[in-house]
Amino acid sequence: MSVSPEPAGKRLRQPPPPRQPMFHRIFRADPATVRTALLFLRERFDGSAGDEVIAKLELALAEVLNNICEHGTRYEALRLGGRPHAPLIHLCVARHVGGIACAVTDDGRPLPSSCLDMHDLPWTGPPPQDAEAILLLPEGGFGWFLIQELTASLCYFREGRRNFLAFVVPVADPGPQAAPAPPDA
Amino acid sequence: MQLTLLPQPDGLTIRVDEKRLDAAIATAFKDRVRGMIAGGGAQVTLDLRGVEFMDSSGLGAVIAIYKAMPAGRKLTLTGLTPNVERVFHLTRMDTVLTIRKSAEIPAARPEGPER
Repeated sequence: MSVSPEPAGKRLRQPPPPRQPMFHRIFRADPATVRTALLFLRERFDGSAGDEVIAKLELALAEVLNNICEHGTRYEALRLGGRPHAPLIHLCVARHVGGIACAVTDDGRPLPSSCLDMHDLPWTGPPPQDAEAILLLPEGGFGWFLIQELTASLCYFREGRRNFLAFVVPVADPGPQAAPAPPDA
Repeated sequence: MQLTLLPQPDGLTIRVDEKRLDAAIATAFKDRVRGMIAGGGAQVTLDLRGVEFMDSSGLGAVIAIYKAMPAGRKLTLTGLTPNVERVFHLTRMDTVLTIRKSAEIPAARPEGPER
């Protein structure tokens, strides 16, 4: 079997036509590596579902991976130097009938179970009119709301030193009634 | 990070020449824009037409910029691409922030959010 002369990286990023795309990547949690992984993911999955679905997939994964970067870091014992250890993330994404399945595992700190509770928006009031009310607007706390809004069948467990989080980004429009799966599903 | 400052008769426009407004640049983006806004002008427009992807970190940076606007000055967002608009819409921040649908520079600025 002859080896194709085109660059291996480019060739590997594009699935053979009759198959559905898959994606697997292992990387150290950092906003820059997350960005790179998402760019590869988009290249791999572009065209495998509607643009809006791919955009939702990218956003949901961005929120999950950002959370790992932000909250997953462990620190070794002070007597050993107290250095930070960014989690090692394994990301696996596969196109299935009816959805794009995602599995994210990491060896960071355990995910608090409250993250899987139903999340409401951090802010739902009428538009603030005065300067004081404006200052109360949240600048964060949107992540888990977005994850739950964009995904279905969200489930989590911890095994050994790793977090396992899995979910599906539905390919058919789930409609306005679709709600994220309960955390104990 | 690529930001372009475009002076306007009544203020200034900051064009974001970054394709991704994400966790990798959100803090630097917030600090840079806040520094540019200190320059002056009542109307500040943040032109996001070049931004193809924004996550909640980018959203948080935009909200922080809005909250830090000096008294008497107004922030308007324009040029939202579909992916960026989705984040503002899902989080309902499109009801708080002033978003101008058209990316064109209007002769007479419309008052308030159009959506």
